[in-house]
Amino acid sequence: MPVVYGMNHASAPQTVRERVAFAEPDIPEAVARLRRIAGVEEALILSTCNRTELTVCMKREQASTTLAGFLARERPITEEELERHCYLYSDDQAVRHVFRTAASLDSMVVGEAQILGQVKRAYALAGRAGSLGSVLDALYRRAIMVARKVRNETGIGRNPVSIAYAAVGLARDIFGGFEDTTVLIVGAGKMARLAAQHLIGHGVRTVLVANRSFQRADELARDLGGRAVPFDRLFQEMERADIVIASTSAPHTVIQRDDAQRLSRARRGRPIFFVDIAMPRDVDPGVNEVDNVYLYDLDDLQRVVRANQDGRREEVVTAEAIIEREADVFLAWIRSLQVAPTIVDLRRRLHDIAAHELARFHGRLGTLTSAQEDAVRQMAESLVNKLLHPPTLALKQAAAVDGGELRVRLIREIFGLESSVTAPLPADDEDGADAPPQPPGTSGKERG
Amino acid sequence: MDWSLVLLRIALASYGLGFVASFFPGGRFAFRRLAPWLTGAGWVAHTVSLIALGIALGRCPLATLPEVLSTLAWSAVAVYLAAFWRWRLEVLHVLVLPLVLVVLFVSGRLPEDVIPVAEPLRPTLWRFHLTVIIFGVAALFITFAASVAYVLLDRALKSKSPRRFLPRLPSLEICDSVGQVSLLWAFPLMTLGIITGAILSASLNHTFWAWQPQETLAVLAWAILGVVVVARRGWGWRGRKVALLTIVAFGCVLLRMLGVY
Repeated sequence: MPVVYGMNHASAPQTVRERVAFAEPDIPEAVARLRRIAGVEEALILSTCNRTELTVCMKREQASTTLAGFLARERPITEEELERHCYLYSDDQAVRHVFRTAASLDSMVVGEAQILGQVKRAYALAGRAGSLGSVLDALYRRAIMVARKVRNETGIGRNPVSIAYAAVGLARDIFGGFEDTTVLIVGAGKMARLAAQHLIGHGVRTVLVANRSFQRADELARDLGGRAVPFDRLFQEMERADIVIASTSAPHTVIQRDDAQRLSRARRGRPIFFVDIAMPRDVDPGVNEVDNVYLYDLDDLQRVVRANQDGRREEVVTAEAIIEREADVFLAWIRSLQVAPTIVDLRRRLHDIAAHELARFHGRLGTLTSAQEDAVRQMAESLVNKLLHPPTLALKQAAAVDGGELRVRLIREIFGLESSVTAPLPADDEDGADAPPQPPGTSGKERG
Repeated sequence: MDWSLVLLRIALASYGLGFVASFFPGGRFAFRRLAPWLTGAGWVAHTVSLIALGIALGRCPLATLPEVLSTLAWSAVAVYLAAFWRWRLEVLHVLVLPLVLVVLFVSGRLPEDVIPVAEPLRPTLWRFHLTVIIFGVAALFITFAASVAYVLLDRALKSKSPRRFLPRLPSLEICDSVGQVSLLWAFPLMTLGIITGAILSASLNHTFWAWQPQETLAVLAWAILGVVVVARRGWGWRGRKVALLTIVAFGCVLLRMLGVY
């Protein structure tokens, strides 16, 4: 069964997380080393700025010490620190955790879209390193599918919940796309740079920078691949701009209502969007009343973010229900994977006994015609199959119920099968008695 | 059994279902995805219904006001479906379908008086007049829907709580360009309609201008649309004021078409 060991934004501070995080190029080798540790059957490493998690297939009892030891060897961190900040999920909990993580329910910003890409990347890296087996491969493929389902069927990712995203979302409400929009940045501070980078990341191509110090404007413009414009030509430039980001350190407002009115006339109704991220504000609030001019300051953006967060909380309930359903389906499959070796062992054991007894009694029966020999063999086979039917059924039912392991162990004991109960992969069955279980969604074929 | 009526009811039911579907939450297997298909199915039923009516009557089904309105609703759905495939604007369902439903319902309640045709020599002009007017108004349906969407989104943005009210509206720019493109289709058709209407009126009343309320309303609507076109194309105007003017003009057209004045 899968085990997840690691830390996230809720369990560990940034300073600890950044020490544990793996750089992407190091992950393939690290995950291969993890896979080679005794007792670890499959392995995957997910490492982002908000979480580092090791997902492995191994016995739960050894997991904590083995995995803490691995992390302490690989990263500059002690086992004591790991004990303080790490969590361990196994079996059902591990499956649910992986599903919730991929669906962004475990993220700092619930519903953010990046995590799914990161999970896919981690899955690809582990696949390339050859550290995945049937369980983790199926688990992560399923998790990616469930995450897509959650995104499609709930509104969890629909509304932006950070200020920068909120501003981009509003600009999209106004302009649709950003390819043909021009952004004018007023002020050359850090906030302005961040906001501009965000917009460029969303496809804005033309960036103008105006600042009282032309030199600083020029520096910022060069960094952003834009053009600096003289501050005294601010309003002429605004006639061409679509989005204006204001973040000067001026103690009073720089853009007044009258300016906006002139601007609206000059632009003949083309909408213009002011984002005022300055403290104190750069744009007079009255500007918002001018036709085709839209103004959002930090408080307004914060309000949009809060409203979106409230909306997301409702969606989380729906998303959790989807995850619960999908986890149940996956767990039923994984349990069936566990009973398969026992069914195979049981069949082999009884058929071996029959073959052995047939050979033993062969001498006592005297000479038999080939038809008689066939009849005896058939009788033995039929006896074995009839005897096998109830325990096989009981094993298959054990796969579907909680605590089924006990039943499996009991059957193994009664029929004198060897002690190991779980095996990650069903052994190939020479006589083809039982096909290996199929992943959820396809139906297993059986004979007997 | 009157097949055209049965089919018309099927069409009405499909339009109604399409309208209801557009309010359901989205998702891969959501009912909402069926909205355009339901409307499309309704439109096919509507088409067959009009053909059946034409065959039953032995003439083009454009002689009575209910027939004209039914054809108008049919062409509005056709234009709407075309606009939907072109721009993928889900908001069109919510705005165009109720209009279509209202027009169809009203058409069912009107007396079946045959519109007097001016002269037996002018039936071709008469049919041309009706056809261009019908397609002009159908295109104007889209203009109207885009303008309403623009005004709603503008209000939501100004009130600083945009997404919560109207999660599925397209952007202002898209509303504006859809409004412009559909208006540039609607206006020439309306102009042709007004001119042919004046010629028909002249042959009936022996004057181009009889000061009848429906004529006045039609010309008023056309004049407002003219102003909008000039404002958009000539002066480069866009945005809220243009959208509001378009809505007023469409109101006049609708009043004229429904005969409520």
